[in-house]
Amino acid sequence: MLKYLAKRGITYVVMIFLTTSAGYFLAVSSLKPALLEQERIPRPTPEQVANSMRLKGLDPDLSPWQRYVDWLTAIVTRWDWGRSPNGAYINAEFGDRVWISTRLFLASIILTLVIGVALGVYSAARQYKFQDRVITSYSYLAYIVPAPIAYFLVQLGAISINETVGDRIFFVTGISTPGVAPGWPQFVDLLAHYVVPTVAITLVGWGAYQIAQRQYLLDNVNADFVRTARAKGLSRNRAIARHALRVSFIPVAQSIAFTVPAIFAGGFFAEKIFAWPGVGSWSIDAISLQDVNAATATLAYGSVIFAIGAILADFATTLVDPRVRVQ
Amino acid sequence: MTNLNAVDPAAVAQDAHLESADVVIGKNTIIFRRFLRNRTAVAGLAIFVALTVFSFIGGFFTPWDKETIDPFNIGMPPSADHYLGTSQAGIDLYAMTVEGTRISILIGLVVGLVSVLIAAVYGCTMAYFGGKVDKVMLFILEALIMMPALLVVAVATSGGGAGLKRDVPSWLLLIIVLLVFSWMGTARLIRSMSMSLMQRDFVKAAQYMGVPPRRIVWRHLVPNIGSLLILDITRGVTAAILAEVAFSFIGIGIKVPDVSLGVLIGGATSQVQTFPWMFWVPLTVMFLLTGSLAMMNDGLRDAFDPSSSSTGKAKKAKARKTSAEKKAA
Amino acid sequence: MSSKTTTGATEPARAGVERLHAAGLHAPADAVLSVRGLNVRFNSENGVVHAVRGVDFDLLPGKTLGIVGESGSGKSVTSLAIMGLLPPTAQVSGSVRLKGRELLGLSDKDMCAFRGNDLAMVFQDPLSSLTPVFTVGTQIIEALTIHHPAMSRKAKEARAVELLAMVGIPSPRERLKAFPHEFSGGMRQRVMIAIAIANNPRVLIADEPTTALDVTIQAQVLEVLHTAQEETGAAVVMITHDLGVVAGMADDIMVMYAGKPVETGAVDDIYYSPRMPYTLGLLGAVPRVDVTEKTSLVPIEGMPPNLLTPPTGCSFAPRCPLASDACLDGEPDLEPVGAGTLHRAACIKSGSLGGSVDVHDVFAAPPVPVSRFDTVPREERRTVLQLKEVRKHFSLTRGALIKRKIGTVKAVDGVSFDIREGECFSIVGESGSGKTTTLLEIMEFHPGQDGEVVIGSLSNKQAADAKTKAGMRRELQMVFQDPTGALDPRFTVYEVLAEPLENAGMGREAIRKRIMELMKLVGLQPDHVNRFPNQFSGGQRQRIGIARALAVNPKLVVLDEPVSALDVSVQAGVINLLDHLRADLGLSYLLVAHDLSVVRHISNRVAVMYLGKIVEIGAVDRVFDNPRHPYTRALLSAIPVPDPQLERTRERIILQGDLPSPLQAPKGCNFATRCPVFAALPPAKQEKCLTLEPPLEAAASTADQRFACFFPDGELDEDMLVVHETRSTIPPEISRPQAPPLAPQ
Repeated sequence: MLKYLAKRGITYVVMIFLTTSAGYFLAVSSLKPALLEQERIPRPTPEQVANSMRLKGLDPDLSPWQRYVDWLTAIVTRWDWGRSPNGAYINAEFGDRVWISTRLFLASIILTLVIGVALGVYSAARQYKFQDRVITSYSYLAYIVPAPIAYFLVQLGAISINETVGDRIFFVTGISTPGVAPGWPQFVDLLAHYVVPTVAITLVGWGAYQIAQRQYLLDNVNADFVRTARAKGLSRNRAIARHALRVSFIPVAQSIAFTVPAIFAGGFFAEKIFAWPGVGSWSIDAISLQDVNAATATLAYGSVIFAIGAILADFATTLVDPRVRVQ
Repeated sequence: MTNLNAVDPAAVAQDAHLESADVVIGKNTIIFRRFLRNRTAVAGLAIFVALTVFSFIGGFFTPWDKETIDPFNIGMPPSADHYLGTSQAGIDLYAMTVEGTRISILIGLVVGLVSVLIAAVYGCTMAYFGGKVDKVMLFILEALIMMPALLVVAVATSGGGAGLKRDVPSWLLLIIVLLVFSWMGTARLIRSMSMSLMQRDFVKAAQYMGVPPRRIVWRHLVPNIGSLLILDITRGVTAAILAEVAFSFIGIGIKVPDVSLGVLIGGATSQVQTFPWMFWVPLTVMFLLTGSLAMMNDGLRDAFDPSSSSTGKAKKAKARKTSAEKKAA
Repeated sequence: MSSKTTTGATEPARAGVERLHAAGLHAPADAVLSVRGLNVRFNSENGVVHAVRGVDFDLLPGKTLGIVGESGSGKSVTSLAIMGLLPPTAQVSGSVRLKGRELLGLSDKDMCAFRGNDLAMVFQDPLSSLTPVFTVGTQIIEALTIHHPAMSRKAKEARAVELLAMVGIPSPRERLKAFPHEFSGGMRQRVMIAIAIANNPRVLIADEPTTALDVTIQAQVLEVLHTAQEETGAAVVMITHDLGVVAGMADDIMVMYAGKPVETGAVDDIYYSPRMPYTLGLLGAVPRVDVTEKTSLVPIEGMPPNLLTPPTGCSFAPRCPLASDACLDGEPDLEPVGAGTLHRAACIKSGSLGGSVDVHDVFAAPPVPVSRFDTVPREERRTVLQLKEVRKHFSLTRGALIKRKIGTVKAVDGVSFDIREGECFSIVGESGSGKTTTLLEIMEFHPGQDGEVVIGSLSNKQAADAKTKAGMRRELQMVFQDPTGALDPRFTVYEVLAEPLENAGMGREAIRKRIMELMKLVGLQPDHVNRFPNQFSGGQRQRIGIARALAVNPKLVVLDEPVSALDVSVQAGVINLLDHLRADLGLSYLLVAHDLSVVRHISNRVAVMYLGKIVEIGAVDRVFDNPRHPYTRALLSAIPVPDPQLERTRERIILQGDLPSPLQAPKGCNFATRCPVFAALPPAKQEKCLTLEPPLEAAASTADQRFACFFPDGELDEDMLVVHETRSTIPPEISRPQAPPLAPQ
């Protein structure tokens, strides 16, 4: 098992390397920070721009290959991901933002999975009944709403709740209010900031899991082994709860591989809309500022997240499926 | 033994059907009939066709276009003059919606169709050659899945003064980027389906008859994954429309002066309170578009599903496709 | 509530059943299970399917009832109805009494008290019938926990070990912790039996328990069922399509057709004096492995009726050679065939049947076809296919990053044989013996093959260019096992048949003509060419497959299990067709089959394969009548014969365990690990088997028979021999009144 995970790990490291390299070339060839510099007032001379770029390791006169080699050498030898056109160091910027993003997504990922799977089981048990129809229709609805619009609608909803109550219950933007006393008030403040984005991400995310879990369970309800369990003397419902349910978790465990990156991608939108200074919003801003190194770093981060998701999925599958365990 | 299915009433009925069926009904006719019997699906198709027609001829019903500013009607709610009202800048919303719908549908159809085509070619090639070719192609595919598409979209559409942006309209750029990142899932599904088809006896029979590989792919593989392809086209169109809206909404997809539903919705978010029609009208159109596609997709899935009880009462095999897809993945 | 039951739901219906019981149709007091007027209906989109129509029987303790029928006859539905396991949409009516207690109408919850306790069931497919995520031990213990919640954990574990040992699973204590996927099919079926008998059931229903298994494993599992019955004293309902399987086990037989019992009686009556043409036909349709003289098989033309419309006459009449107008007038009831007998048949002509009536006369079986090559001595005939030392080895690797070889699987290991014009050569063996891989090696024309495959005059060594390959393809064509899978569902029959012809470069008109010819040749209506495969029955589909293989006039047809997916009555028609095509067209066949009866019927020569090697080869009559290799002997002995008396008395060899993994094969003789002769040998001689590989050598005489064994005809190990003499000691005259198969009417 460990060997298997190690093998997967190495494959992913190679993949991350390749995607990041490809991303770097794409960014280097299409992002031109020098052009933005020239729009500054007072307008600097081209020499000044080139000079300042060279100092930050963003020399536009070097060939993309040469820049790639320099960039890679810096990462490999010093773990230095370079600098932004405004002079900031990527490494320094990154740390805080990764923490903010992770804080935002961790709760959502867990909630999405738990609620999605639970509702899937619940609706499968009540197939074609009222509850099933409502839940499943909701999930289909979630499927046809683009994530940022859904977040925006949740934001609108929170605002209208605030207005109705006449007090600020939820914060719809930002991560914390500056200057709140530590301890209990800070915790309440934190919560008020957290609730809306977390609810928004979860509301949009669980639909896919509900539909999938419902279908997997229904696929197994009439399986031969459920019939065997019933022939032993278990009632239909107990046979399903004991035997079909566990088997239906296997494909869901496999799909964790896609949850983590999907929520991460959704995070770009969420951070943008709820104004959280996480990796997502930072990267989009960085790109509009023609920041090659920041764009590449976030791309690498995205790939790492994907790899973590995939390895987690392998792990979860091993946990629920003994057939995988043995090899 | 065939009596595995002894309890399956559908099988019994099928057998019974065989005896009396003197008329040969083609499979496509059956699928078509089943689709027509599904009222939701037909409604979806009707809405989608209506919207498409609207996006092409809708412009003839109003004297305004998406560029002309009406200085006498700035930020006005719907009226006889401006059916859907005007924007803060005094541009007719109806005209913009027609234009935006067209661009959105265009993006959806092009990306949906072409990505399925790429996926079919790529997936079949992997399955057919297998071995090393398959391994390398699968690696490329997974690496592409790993790339956060969003960032690439952002990089590509906001690429600085690169010549690309000046020569190519932003919607075309978005189409290209979406295409690059939309075909992998389908390709992987097609690969696994073709692989199982390659193991089927009728493909082996053709091989043992000496039928050339190209012909086997064309005559046996493609028609047998046809239903999957059609389903994936409707799903791909939906996904592309959604992606366009999402990207344009946060300002990285289509850029003004090009108009799309996403641009309209995104541009109106700050004015929901003041000019609500600017937000809700394009949003409704988007819902109609994606909703009608979802309805069609559902109907098609039922029609293609051989195990579906096609009288289609309460029992709809919802999300069967999703599960098949996940399993294949 | 698992099934809507009209009995439970409405009072008048309940009263009706009570009245029936009162009117002398009630069960004998000692019956453990008595079924009366069982009817099952399903709603389908085409209407109501009446899947079971009036089944009655009584089952006495310790007795075995065999329910025989083809697919769609309603036998499985009957068993599920008794268990209360039909889907809620099924309407079940009638009466099912277990020890006098009515089961129909009970809620799912109430049924739970009986299921797995007094009433247990073993299902057909052992691969999917166990939950993949739980250990075997957990699943057995669960069966105990449900009905004995008070039992201690330790006691339950001990009982589980005892059960596993009883069904013959080696080192049961360790195996408790194993998951189902770590077991072979046969082993999983043993586990299923262990679960079923865990609570000493009074009635054990086995639905096709051995259909998915190899013959040798089938013999083992049947043995286990036998033991289980002896241990628990349960009455057994054995459901099968194979008349051989129940011949030795059953006391009574019920033959079902179109949802209805058409003949019931004691086993000897049914087998030796069938009174219903359908039973007669079924018995005549099965080839016998123990009969040398070749007679044509009895084909039952046509298809079973659909069950949507109630039959107005005898449901078998459309397929019955004896049918007259009277048969179409009302469906005949199950009537006693004579005074004072419990043998009953639903046929108005049952009086004229039975005793010495020859099934071949009744069903007008075609004469045995004779090929023009049959009279030519084998040596003078041309060779159409020759294999020389063909090998196919796979290397098995382990290790995630650095692959290292841990062994070689010799799937095919030096196989040589030749096939002459006009002859049928068969390869037999268990699954995993390498027979299918051998076929693939022949079909694929690998120039890199170690050995040589010569087709006609062309060898695989020359098959580098497309032209030679095309030449070889024309010489040999293949018919597949699964007729449904072998036909593209999107092609009409015309397109299916046109494909090889187009490929051969024929013109449109010529193709059309040839297709019409082919349709007639295989006995299909030429005007059906525009239909799709799913509009044909299984037998017809296989005929289409045969027509496609014959399209380009090959010399040799490779048949991969051509009839194993077909029902018995249909199978006979296809076998007769193959037989007659071989004679008329001068074809040669290479047949791979697990059914040795079919092989004996159709082949001239046979090779027995074990772990990639031929262990015995020769003329089919020589090999089958005088098998020399212990494996051949075991294989032949494992086949149940549809002859109750023979089955009860004959000695059979039950091989131990499964086909070993090729990695574990000994250095010497592959078969030594399971060999009944080896087990009885003194250690000195055993050494020889373990170290030296026996060569494939001719028997002393000049006869066409060679085998690879050092000690042919050796003494067999007694542990591997089984005789069921218990039954045969009780003469049928005494046993029958004791065990009335059915209540008198």
